Amino acid sequence: MIARACGVALLGLVLADAAALADENSDLDLIPEAATRPQSPPPAAAPAGAANQRIYLENAFTGTARRGDLLVPFPSPKPATWQERLFLDARKQWTLGDTVNVTLSDRVNLRAQDDLDVPSHEDMINDFREGYVSWEAADRTYLDAGRINLKSGVAAGFNPTDFFRTRAVVDPLSVDPTVLREDRLGTMMGLGEKIWQGGTLTVAAAPKLDNPTPVYNTTDLRSFDPSLDRTNAHDRFLIKGSADLAEDFAPELLVYHEANRTSFGANITESLGQKTVAYAEWAGGNRTSLINEALRYGQKTGTLPANGPSAIPDDTSVYFQNQLSVGASYTTESKITFNLEYHFNQAGFSRHDWNNWFRVGAAPGASANVTKELWYFRSYAAERQDPLSVHSLFLRADWVDAFVPNLELTGFVNMDLYDGSSLVQVTADYYLSNAWTVGGLVIADLGGRHSDFGSLPESTSVLVKLARYF
Amino acid sequence: MRIAAVVFLAFVGINAAAHAETAQEIVAASDKVRNPGEPFRSTDTLTEFIAGKPRDQNVLVVYAKEDPATHQFRNLVRYVEPPRDQGKMVLLDGHVLWFYDPNSKASVRISPQQRLIGQAAIGDVLTVNFAVDYAGTLLGDETIQDASRKDRQCWHLDMKAANDQAVYNRVEYWVEHGSHYPVKAKFYSDSGRLLKILYYRGFEEQLGRIRPTEAVIIDAVDTSLVTVFKFGDFRAQAIPDAWFQRDYLPRLQPE
Repeated sequence: MIARACGVALLGLVLADAAALADENSDLDLIPEAATRPQSPPPAAAPAGAANQRIYLENAFTGTARRGDLLVPFPSPKPATWQERLFLDARKQWTLGDTVNVTLSDRVNLRAQDDLDVPSHEDMINDFREGYVSWEAADRTYLDAGRINLKSGVAAGFNPTDFFRTRAVVDPLSVDPTVLREDRLGTMMGLGEKIWQGGTLTVAAAPKLDNPTPVYNTTDLRSFDPSLDRTNAHDRFLIKGSADLAEDFAPELLVYHEANRTSFGANITESLGQKTVAYAEWAGGNRTSLINEALRYGQKTGTLPANGPSAIPDDTSVYFQNQLSVGASYTTESKITFNLEYHFNQAGFSRHDWNNWFRVGAAPGASANVTKELWYFRSYAAERQDPLSVHSLFLRADWVDAFVPNLELTGFVNMDLYDGSSLVQVTADYYLSNAWTVGGLVIADLGGRHSDFGSLPESTSVLVKLARYF
Repeated sequence: MRIAAVVFLAFVGINAAAHAETAQEIVAASDKVRNPGEPFRSTDTLTEFIAGKPRDQNVLVVYAKEDPATHQFRNLVRYVEPPRDQGKMVLLDGHVLWFYDPNSKASVRISPQQRLIGQAAIGDVLTVNFAVDYAGTLLGDETIQDASRKDRQCWHLDMKAANDQAVYNRVEYWVEHGSHYPVKAKFYSDSGRLLKILYYRGFEEQLGRIRPTEAVIIDAVDTSLVTVFKFGDFRAQAIPDAWFQRDYLPRLQPE
């Protein structure tokens, strides 16, 4: 009786085990027929040059809706209501021997918009981003010379330590800070870098090659011109170094000198478990308020009347002021990565400055010169890629394979913490194939008339694009 | 009754012999099959199938070197295809992961979880010693079919993440008796959800011994998605330790 019971139990176990294994083997049914055959061997390593390039052709059409009820009138030229742009973008590196390589990065834009004559020199804009020679003089000791995009910083929305960012972005199609970095002009410089095991030291010197020029708008961009006035209007020097001080702790420190002023910076990142990376980026140095800086720059470059007083009270004192970007990224199991950051720009607009800006600009009978100056302060900050307000919040999300494979959704909100107004952008890119990408984006400035983003002349922009990669 | 006893004793005897190796030893021996012991580079081709049809193909070059202090691999991955991603790089060094985009010339620190993003996740091409990142338990012996539907007598192991560098929270792993060839693995998320099913195949001699040169990964969340990894062009290569840091990424030259 016991033996029979044992036999039944054993048989049960065997059958259960067999069922489990059959179930285990059924996973093989999920492999499609085409994938069951051995794959062809991988291609031999691509030629060095071909493996370090990106070339693509893109067409983008943008439509923009303007606000009609601005509290502070916007000076001419008004934002274009539509723009059609076709551009060829190329980045390529050639290797010359074992120790020398040459890098070229350029974008040629053909464009038309409602406030541009066709044909005119404004219809074709060439962005010469980079062109430099790099020589590995000794093991991991590099000397570079030419136009170089030297980036620094660990944050996503605002990089205080990215000292060469100012004025470098030309007529962007997207306002996503991570995309702005892709299409900006490098600076003519000489650069030396030594990479040790556990540390790096970089020294860069960029000479003054041109004079400062007025802040650009979309109708007075230079056509075929290296635009050295944007990048080499002052002598500039940067030293930065990083070292592995402990496991997972390698801070980067920076010293930057421009126009008789020295700034300092630091970057720190830290992994917090599987899903989170925390980071902080700080820069500080002696400067005046953004309003005073913009006023003096406008006067120097002839945009604003020389020696005239500021339209709104400005702090003319020079003292040590800080910029900070602190935040964290978090990745979910559903493949969405969020970046949440707090941005601090001590020299930016305070609540008091905002009240003055609206009070003076919206006053009955405010002259065109006054409103032009008020908007100039904002254009100046935008071209420097500095946050306009002292306090702001940035949230970005990136979702790979959103809903369906090969669809990537990204979006961000940049919120002014004084009034809650926001700049919002949502982007969708669908990778039709390895060569073709179709996409679009929507940008909206949200907020009341008496707010940072709600006072802007554009309310909404919509862009559709098609890109072919080669 | 006597027959039952004999069967029972034989079963116990076989099991005792099979358990002579600990789970961790089995996993470590299988790591030696999967991963060359010397620094190397390989070119990996990832072909994605959607609903049975091949779609995208990604090509990556992986540089890997074992860290003698941790016995885990440090990895540098460079994208060769698709054209829109060409030149992008990922660095894995212990806890530290950086993503470098030559278009923005920016390096971004990424979390271990971001290794799993994309159907062809970067975490699946990184060279990893399972025995370092996971603590294994032997569940028993099973005969399962390999990728070519041949029966293989395997150890069935349950591996739990032993540190926060492990890509997955839990892995079920089947390793063939004797040869220690990896046959199959199932990867689970923190919440216990089955994420991927992997079959190893294409066993060929590479860098001194027989190793799997292909892996088929089935997306268990959306089973219409299957990716075939072809690991090839293995080359032993001296890789300086200085390569494995953020500032070297813009300097890595294609060879």
